[in-house]
Amino acid sequence: MIRQAEPLPLADARENLDRAIARLLVAATLTSVGILAIGVILLIARGTSPLDLSFERLDVARIPADLAGLRAEGFLWLGLMVIVATPAARVGVSLVGYARGGERSMALISAAILTIIGASILLSSSGG
Amino acid sequence: MIAGGVAAGVFGSLLGLGGGVLIVPLLTLGFGLPLREAVGVSLVSVIVTSSASAGVYLQRHVANLRLGMTLELFTALGALAGGLVAFMVTDRVLAGLFALLLVYVAVSMLRRREPAPAPAVQPHPVQADQGPAADAHLPAVAASGWPSERTIDRLSGPGYRVRGLRRGVIGAVVAGLVSALLGVGGGIIKVPLMNLMMGVPLRVATATSNLMIGVTASSSAVIYLLRGGIDPYVAGPTAVGVYLGASLGSRIAHRVNTRVLRSLFVVVLLYNAIQMALRALR
Repeated sequence: MIRQAEPLPLADARENLDRAIARLLVAATLTSVGILAIGVILLIARGTSPLDLSFERLDVARIPADLAGLRAEGFLWLGLMVIVATPAARVGVSLVGYARGGERSMALISAAILTIIGASILLSSSGG
Repeated sequence: MIAGGVAAGVFGSLLGLGGGVLIVPLLTLGFGLPLREAVGVSLVSVIVTSSASAGVYLQRHVANLRLGMTLELFTALGALAGGLVAFMVTDRVLAGLFALLLVYVAVSMLRRREPAPAPAVQPHPVQADQGPAADAHLPAVAASGWPSERTIDRLSGPGYRVRGLRRGVIGAVVAGLVSALLGVGGGIIKVPLMNLMMGVPLRVATATSNLMIGVTASSSAVIYLLRGGIDPYVAGPTAVGVYLGASLGSRIAHRVNTRVLRSLFVVVLLYNAIQMALRALR
């Protein structure tokens, strides 16, 4: 017979979620700064001032090739993408945590925030 | 550029700022970057410092995640609108707005006093029976449906009860707009909003604001990123520098006389405000 797990008391659920999000934020920040640092080192090794380089718009499809070729651009764009995506990932973890804890209103708020971030992506992609 | 980022990170960390008010003038006045590009780079740096410090605040259970998420729904809306508007206004308008923001921050810094001993906070109504008189100063929250008493209970923390949520929502939208237009975290608006208008203790308000800054800034940073408003060659070194500076700042904070630093910082802010105003008038 499968027993349904009893929901955690509110204080415990809050602490668990806080801890999970804290771990995510710390890990994502270290990862993104690490990736950016590699890009910066490659940029310095190239010996060109960042102000002398002209940049093109983000092209996600080019990133794997730039990473494989150890080009600074790949690491810089990837690092920036991880940075910008980290808060959304945090909201995603909150959504799961609240949904699991049966907190419908907070789960809805989390979903609404993700929708707004999604709308930002759609509007900026379509707005040229 | 890395050194500039480190300096912005150290100052921001010592003075409790996200660093945006320093990074934007540094990149525009110091390195000659167009203002909109500087705002995009600043937003990225602000997310880095916010994510790093919010992680620590959450581990220590200082930040109020529920309140932060409820308000950031509205800061994100403001940031979405601000991010779109930013591509419609000229650099001169942005410079003028930034000059006003710098003056506001300088005045706030001058008026800010040294932290006083924590006042005796009111017990949480769920935890203690206060009687009907205890909540007499609170606005009638349940009279028109939202927010309900239950919502307020859920958003409140140990030792304090949230009030003025409607005003908080309006303030959050404004903070989001300012953040997206000017590349700052908006903590300078959110912290007083939560502390003075919503009854959240200063330490919790600061931690919660830090948490919110990530979502606020990323809602508009996405727009800057996809519309070609972020220069990776500038954003990379600056963000790494700001992260290193903020880490260093948090380690040396107890050894630095912040009163002297604040006075110096006010002078720097006012100088930058004049430069930005001149840029707007040119």
